[in-house]
Amino acid sequence: MYDFLELNKMVETGKVKVVKELVQNALNDGVSPAAILNEGLLPGMNAVGEKFKNNQVYIPEVLISARALNTGIGLLKPLLSADAVEKPGVAVIGTVHGDLHDIGKNLVKMMLESKGIEVIDLGVDVTAEQFLDAAAEHGAQVICCSTLLTTTMFEMENVVKEAAARGVRDNLFIMVGGAPLSDAFCEKIGADCYMPDAASAADAALAWLKEKNA
Amino acid sequence: MTNRENYLAIARRQGYEYMPVHFNMCPSLQEKFRQYQETHDLFIPEGPSHVGSLPMICAKPEDFLPYYENKPLKPGANIDKWGVAHEPGSKAAFHMTYMRHPMEDFDSLEQIRSYPFPVFTPEGAEQQKARTEALHAAGKAVQGALNCSLWEQAWYLRGMENLFCDMMSEDPMAEELLDRVTDVAVKQIESLAAAGVDSVYFGDDIGMQHTIMMSEELYRYWLQPRLKRVIDAAKAIKPDILIIYHSCGHINELIPNLIEAGIDILNPIQPESMEFRQIHAEYCDRLSFHGTIGTQTTMPFGTPAEVRQKVFENLDIAGKKGGLFVAPTHMLEPEVPVENVVAYIRACAEYTSR
Repeated sequence: MYDFLELNKMVETGKVKVVKELVQNALNDGVSPAAILNEGLLPGMNAVGEKFKNNQVYIPEVLISARALNTGIGLLKPLLSADAVEKPGVAVIGTVHGDLHDIGKNLVKMMLESKGIEVIDLGVDVTAEQFLDAAAEHGAQVICCSTLLTTTMFEMENVVKEAAARGVRDNLFIMVGGAPLSDAFCEKIGADCYMPDAASAADAALAWLKEKNA
Repeated sequence: MTNRENYLAIARRQGYEYMPVHFNMCPSLQEKFRQYQETHDLFIPEGPSHVGSLPMICAKPEDFLPYYENKPLKPGANIDKWGVAHEPGSKAAFHMTYMRHPMEDFDSLEQIRSYPFPVFTPEGAEQQKARTEALHAAGKAVQGALNCSLWEQAWYLRGMENLFCDMMSEDPMAEELLDRVTDVAVKQIESLAAAGVDSVYFGDDIGMQHTIMMSEELYRYWLQPRLKRVIDAAKAIKPDILIIYHSCGHINELIPNLIEAGIDILNPIQPESMEFRQIHAEYCDRLSFHGTIGTQTTMPFGTPAEVRQKVFENLDIAGKKGGLFVAPTHMLEPEVPVENVVAYIRACAEYTSR
């Protein structure tokens, strides 16, 4: 059993150069790329996610850890065969129509990716139709809608309605997040899940995907 | 009391006569409000008068285009004096724009050193002083605003993710960038202090909805000393100048650092993120406040009666001595009913401490 403790720690603390070295060392030692990813890199980022959820660390720690994670993944990508990596599922993410803020959305994206979920990022100002088109195109089961503004929060209801109109509502987990939102709002518009922070959102997406695809 | 005496008395918690209003509206709401005023009599208790900041000498917008070569700007993008680009969104985005960062791809200190930062010309200083003196002679309070923040202006240039990573890895690029931006802010505030303004408004968003944005340790290492440098520069020239500091979101844990840096008035005490009653109880001997009426809750979704009730409730918490300029916590956006804006103004005009 390879000892990934140091690599876990270096991802968690965002030491990009050391992560590069340790990933290369593991490869030289004949460790499989999938094991390096699943046991070496992702647990480090997940540890940050847990601490973020508990307000023990803040955005900068998440960002620097994600950067270290992505550096490691960059080294592994050419070596990873598609079936060697467990992918819980695909999520489509975007900031809703009329809203151009993306810092929160980007954090959720990082957290989802740290769970191994494939994320299709549609950017900002995304219409309900674009969310549903992308979900269909990429076979996504999760849609994550972000907004910072009270002006645009009701746009999220259009995503829920569009999913219903297309007859795909029951196959989708529609998540909503952003500063002015709440559980009550989520329930009111008929979405499936609101989470107050990025790490909890990724946990919820992963839990739903696991249950759905069990 | 004159407008100025009343303003200073509220800020210094010395008892006041009336509550001045302060609010900003997005363009579409401004138009609705204008129409309302055409058909209704509305008394608006006047707040401080404003003086502009020093004119900036800066590169031409097209001079910044090479910084966006890797990812060209959307048609209709506007480049500001710092070189930060603002791309338009769909019609549904109203006045809002998507920000693009000219230093996003920088990887060397030299690139930051050779960047065309704006510089301020002292030519406007005389004008600032003359306007301030004229307003004071008319009994009016004068507020200046820095059109430059520290943390925010720096990340507008570099991108938030990049700047946070630079700070976390103690990259000299972060130090250089923050210092250059701070230099500009110091020049600005020195000129406002020399003009004799009563207060200066500026700030940075360092809070998220439910938590602080960065650890206290990171804040104290990178940002608090630079904030203190700006405030010290103003108070060295005009010791009684009032510093109104803005940060959206939850910033409870950082407030002692802001007080240590020398702020006098904290804005906006977003009620969705912080409890005004608690913040007031903890800091009312050292701080005054500005804001407290929620723009995620009461202003867009409350009734006019609820707006009035909140205004009264918060002014009651502040008490007879003042210490609160009650105001919406942010710009009022298109979904805010004009009736709620009117209710806010009327509540300020009709409030008498109980």
